[in-house]
Amino acid sequence: MATRALRRSGAALLAASVLALAAPGVAPAEESPAPSPVPIAAATGPFTVGFTDDVDSMNPFTGIIATAYEMYQLMYPTLTSSSKDDFSAVPDLAVSWQESPDQRTWTYTLREGVTWSDGTPLTARDAAYTFNRIINGDYEQTNYGGYVANITKAEAPDDTTLVLTVKQPTPIMLRLAVYILPEHVWKDIDGKEVRSYSNEPEDGEPIVGAGPYVLVERQKGQFIRFRANPAYWGPAPAFEELVFRVYKNADALGQALRKGEIDFATELQANVFEALEGQAGITTVPAANYDFSQIGFNTGAALADGTPIGDGHPALQDKRVRQALNHAIDRQLLVDRVLSGYGTPGSTVIPPMYTALHLQPAEPLGFDLERAGQLLDEAGYPLGPEGKRLDKDGSPLTFRLLGRQESQESQQTVQFVEGWYEDLGLTIDTKLVSEDTLIELNGQGDFDIFEWGWGVEPDPDYQLSTFTCAQRSSKDGDTIYAGLSDSHFCDEDYDRLYAEQAVETDVAARTEIVKQMQQILYDEAPYAVTYYPDMLQAYRADRVHDLVAQPAATGDGRSGRVLFQFGTWSYQSMQPGPAPTGDGGEQAAGAGDEAGGLNPVAIVGGIAALAAVGVGIALVVRRRATSDEDVE
Amino acid sequence: MGPGARYALRSVASGLGTLLFVVVFNFFLFRMLPGDPIGLYTRGRNVPPEQIEALRAELDRPLLEQFVTYLANPFASTINSARYNQPVWTLIGDRVWATLLLVGTAIVLASILGTWIGIRAGWRRGERFDRVSTGVTLTLYSMPEFWLGMILLITFGVGVGFVPGVFPIGGIITPGVDPTSLAGVLDVMWHMVLPVTTLMVVYLAEYALVMRASLIDELGEDYLTVARAKGLMDKVVRRRHAVPNALLPTVTLILLNLGFVVSGAITVETVFSWPGLGLLSYDALRGPDIALLQAIFLLFSIGVIVANIIADLLYAVLDPRVRA
Repeated sequence: MATRALRRSGAALLAASVLALAAPGVAPAEESPAPSPVPIAAATGPFTVGFTDDVDSMNPFTGIIATAYEMYQLMYPTLTSSSKDDFSAVPDLAVSWQESPDQRTWTYTLREGVTWSDGTPLTARDAAYTFNRIINGDYEQTNYGGYVANITKAEAPDDTTLVLTVKQPTPIMLRLAVYILPEHVWKDIDGKEVRSYSNEPEDGEPIVGAGPYVLVERQKGQFIRFRANPAYWGPAPAFEELVFRVYKNADALGQALRKGEIDFATELQANVFEALEGQAGITTVPAANYDFSQIGFNTGAALADGTPIGDGHPALQDKRVRQALNHAIDRQLLVDRVLSGYGTPGSTVIPPMYTALHLQPAEPLGFDLERAGQLLDEAGYPLGPEGKRLDKDGSPLTFRLLGRQESQESQQTVQFVEGWYEDLGLTIDTKLVSEDTLIELNGQGDFDIFEWGWGVEPDPDYQLSTFTCAQRSSKDGDTIYAGLSDSHFCDEDYDRLYAEQAVETDVAARTEIVKQMQQILYDEAPYAVTYYPDMLQAYRADRVHDLVAQPAATGDGRSGRVLFQFGTWSYQSMQPGPAPTGDGGEQAAGAGDEAGGLNPVAIVGGIAALAAVGVGIALVVRRRATSDEDVE
Repeated sequence: MGPGARYALRSVASGLGTLLFVVVFNFFLFRMLPGDPIGLYTRGRNVPPEQIEALRAELDRPLLEQFVTYLANPFASTINSARYNQPVWTLIGDRVWATLLLVGTAIVLASILGTWIGIRAGWRRGERFDRVSTGVTLTLYSMPEFWLGMILLITFGVGVGFVPGVFPIGGIITPGVDPTSLAGVLDVMWHMVLPVTTLMVVYLAEYALVMRASLIDELGEDYLTVARAKGLMDKVVRRRHAVPNALLPTVTLILLNLGFVVSGAITVETVFSWPGLGLLSYDALRGPDIALLQAIFLLFSIGVIVANIIADLLYAVLDPRVRA
């Protein structure tokens, strides 16, 4: 009986979805609110940004895709933000902050007279509510638990004062990337409900926020629409409307920018970006970014308590072997070939975009196969008679090398690396796996060498933690789970420095420790950092100007992203229309779609299509003719 | 109970049997996938270790317990996607109508146009219309959807030379336009032109060729000679006698294809950024998001099974011999 009921409900569901088909208007449709007076020329229209990675959730407690965080910071304030010049902490909702002499409380003074977009005053009580909700929450911990782990309580003695009490001194208090939410809205969403809460407008009213923009419409897989928040305390953005559109393929994203369907494109593919370069009316920005990629080594997989696990090759526990494998990577070639030149060769785990924190090693491990060979000889892995290096037991020294199926760059990188390692006389067994499989293999310790990467946030704590002993795998019953460490690196000095930086609230002193830690990682080589890929962005210079890069300069003559930054800098500075003439250069008179009229791909494709049709017709006509003759 | 009813009952029963098998098979199939979804979703995020443990514990309940819960109601609104933290059927509901609209329209147009071409070509076999139409449809049939879509997009979306780019590059509606208004409906249709054309052009050949072939099979039949001998006009012979008999294989084909409507056209959805089920299933495979995968596959299977049952039943109506 139960099964029959089950089937019936299935049929009903199917019927419902068929009904939904009959009326395309079934999609949630709300009245578009009447546009409020726009201070700029009416012809400007919305500022439209295209990307390929749709936001997974508008709810700041559940989103995990990087683009989602751009939405949150447009909607909600944080206590502090990252400066556009060097990522140092600067005021956002908090105008000033003070650490108590005993280092156990932090007092933030918030802006006065700030209101939410619905007119309700935004006070320190909202901030305290948000922090307490995370501290005492369960699911709420998922995205922000790391920030509040050290905070015991949040209090609001008055409307503009927020006091956070901490267990031990911590520098993270300047970098609490926690979005302050309106208590009067979120108190009605309990700890269970919050998990699947969509935080999208349903009744036609915008989502209550306090950032430069408020969310007015979201269609999953299609677009996200914002309107300028009239209650925003900062400078009013010049574009009244802001739209993010999803393009599911990289070529279409580039074409949409050329045509002018969008004004800005982010995370462009290298080949698409190359095609946009030099197009009239389009400014391309190969921006220094916060990602690095690495070849990682199994330095001796173990549980956090030191119990060895997995089947990693013991040779990789020898630092000389890892250094040899480090020397055998031609990073510049990887940048040129894998990234089409859009990136910089890698060295340490804090990317150079973070000018203050990045350590540029004094003695770089350059591409040097000879030196690599010497190191392997020293480590006791000599070349055998057939040009193959031999393991301690006399068999060929063999490593497994894992690349990621999801990433073209990863696949190309492991191909190059395999070649260099084989030049060294090593036997390499390369395999492509999915990322979730790789995490599992990393966790079990069942790997030798792998390719992956990380995105590093302005505060280095999280990234540095991934190399601590405590982040090795853990065991629950019979199941082994991965920690954050995928190299299983464990070093006493490093762990000591990690603990030191975690309580050092003096910025300069902490920077010094962070640099020492990078040096240890560089020398011990759990990772060979291969490259820092650029973020490829482009925009219509005839539609917008005065975007600002973060950071403006990285020291090696490069600059950072112009949108999708830490903070909403460009949204506040950018102006519609082409830049006022006089400085020449990038602004262009013509629209890109006219200039780009003759696309070589289309021409070749068109000719090929015509030829194919012609050949097809000719063949069929001939066959018909012959078969007709046969009949006759 | 007549033989017709018994036949109908048998079709439906075997369809439901297949469905049950799919439900059970899907459950175990996806649990054989390797991987650590929670590790992937929490990587690079500031998630405290206790929370990661809690999330993993949710997915690691005993297999039997999971199976019983799932089998009790595979359509339960409590089944959450591990990646999106939303009920899986809500996620699917958001996407399914876009896919149905796109693929459904393309199949309907392609079957009408294809059948018409097939009839004309088959009836006057070997003449110029036949030669040209067969050549063209075969050529279009052999084009990769992705490539054809890209060419149409660049030519009519961006514009090439003197051809203006009048159609949108992607999406289903212009942001900010109310889909329930007349302008909204027109806007959706305007967005549909290129993706529907791409799919239709690719599907066209199948219908044209099947219709043409089955009509040619009928051409030599005695009953057509009799009809002609009665002095019926050529047009009437074709419409009243030949086509109805030749239509059977085409009907089956249309119905079977309708079953695949929900599984959509991943490539065309990708080229034109169409917000359908195609990309959702791709995303679900990464992770893997088992709950979402299960639901999507169940929906796809239901589509095919239901279309099969309808085809079976309709066949019996169209061809009395089947019932016997």
